[in-house]
Amino acid sequence: MAPSFSITRYNQQHLLPYLLEFQLTTIQYLTLIDTLARFHLRGEARQFYLGYFWWLLEPALYIAVFYAVFQLLLDSRQPDYLYFLAVGKLTFIWFSKSVVQASFSIETNRGLLSQVAIRKEVFPLAAIQQGFYRQLVVLSFLLVLLFLSGKGQFHYWFWLLPLMFVQMLLISGVGLLAALVVCWHKDFQHLIQLGMMFLLFVSGVFWDVNAVADADVRRWLLLLNPLATLIDAYRQILLFGSLPKTDLMSVLLCQSLLLLSIAVGAYRIFQSRIAVRVLSR
Amino acid sequence: MTQEILISVRGLGLTYKVRRSLFSPIFVSALSEVSFDVYKGETLGVVGKNGSGKSTLLRALAGIYKPDQGLVRFDATTIALMTLSLGFDPVMSGRDNAIFGGMLLGFDSEYVEAQLDEIKAFSGIGDAFEAPVRTYSSGMLSRLSFAVAMKVSPDVMLLDELLAVGDESFRAKAYEAMREKIASDQTTIFVSHNADEILALCDRAILLHEGRIISQGDPQNIISRYRKLD
Repeated sequence: MAPSFSITRYNQQHLLPYLLEFQLTTIQYLTLIDTLARFHLRGEARQFYLGYFWWLLEPALYIAVFYAVFQLLLDSRQPDYLYFLAVGKLTFIWFSKSVVQASFSIETNRGLLSQVAIRKEVFPLAAIQQGFYRQLVVLSFLLVLLFLSGKGQFHYWFWLLPLMFVQMLLISGVGLLAALVVCWHKDFQHLIQLGMMFLLFVSGVFWDVNAVADADVRRWLLLLNPLATLIDAYRQILLFGSLPKTDLMSVLLCQSLLLLSIAVGAYRIFQSRIAVRVLSR
Repeated sequence: MTQEILISVRGLGLTYKVRRSLFSPIFVSALSEVSFDVYKGETLGVVGKNGSGKSTLLRALAGIYKPDQGLVRFDATTIALMTLSLGFDPVMSGRDNAIFGGMLLGFDSEYVEAQLDEIKAFSGIGDAFEAPVRTYSSGMLSRLSFAVAMKVSPDVMLLDELLAVGDESFRAKAYEAMREKIASDQTTIFVSHNADEILALCDRAILLHEGRIISQGDPQNIISRYRKLD
């Protein structure tokens, strides 16, 4: 019989070294994630001459580029295209940037990984938390803009809260899984970048999913792509002043929860093998 | 020195794949059949040539790598590895890294923040403490690592070549601090290529060769055996 590794304890009051990663309480872990996110945002901002101003400048420039192409060159027929595009693009950037940053976060923190036994979810979740802080600023700015321009609808603004919550769940599930697969094979980083490009085109960022003529195609698009449903829901609330469809929202919630559960399970299984994968690369 | 065993390692083995391309993976047996005890309050030296498994052993003890075989019995609450430069986030300042490093060991941020002035003073890096760690020289990194390790110490400190870098005056200061720690019942496992350090600081030593312990005991004997290798 092959010998296997086991641990026993001398003293019941003390924790085991290989369970040390579980020694911190949930509150301590949450504090750790938030601290890492805030310190990292501060450090990042200090790298640039324009500092925190990039939080707004980067999405604004993206929107400007898309606006130039789709409105000025291709002449989109969508009314108030600038705001339509802004809502879609900002929702998309929140998702894509968080997932991409989460995907290489464990690899980036290999230094910390090589020193302390810690739950590896900390790093992707900190990256996701950074995305959340950025989005709070960006979204507030967008709301002010919508208010001042008179193009926004604010009857159902409080629907933003559950919508953002669901988006956080979705980002966490996808981001955690992305980080894990990149630890296993770095090759996945290429696929994730490509996947984001694909999602950019099929999520209705610069076009309206409701304008898809074939009802079946439209339905499948929304059912299979949670991001398309999300972007459409933000637009319903902020631009059209209507409630998002309950059935699609329930599907979105289930999809997000399912992805997150898969991610949590996967970390439970692979937790102890992540460090050796990353550090022996 | 008390003879209470803090960590007991029996038959520890760890193998990993170093090449993971589609074809021809390479398996490396980093440790096999490693057995030793660590007593409370002692300083144990680990010597061996490059690639003998020293760093892997420390990582296994710190709970970073999970061994494939063997048994570890353990009676301590916190154990952490201190290496030269790796444990820092390059984007964050020395101050933020020190706070986060302490929190990783389970200390709350208030406690670590209260130690910051001493950490800064001990490291002797001055205003660079507020600068991002990516701008540090290797000497500054080692100064900061060492200062953090001294002020927010885990129950068991694993030091991997931490004294190897730094100028003459800092090394003298670091030695002195290590001596004080050792006198104050700190349990330390200490990897070094420097025979003088092992002789000066360690109570006992183990000699690793190709992933196995080939000798353990009095540092003097271990060092003379180490020098006779190859």
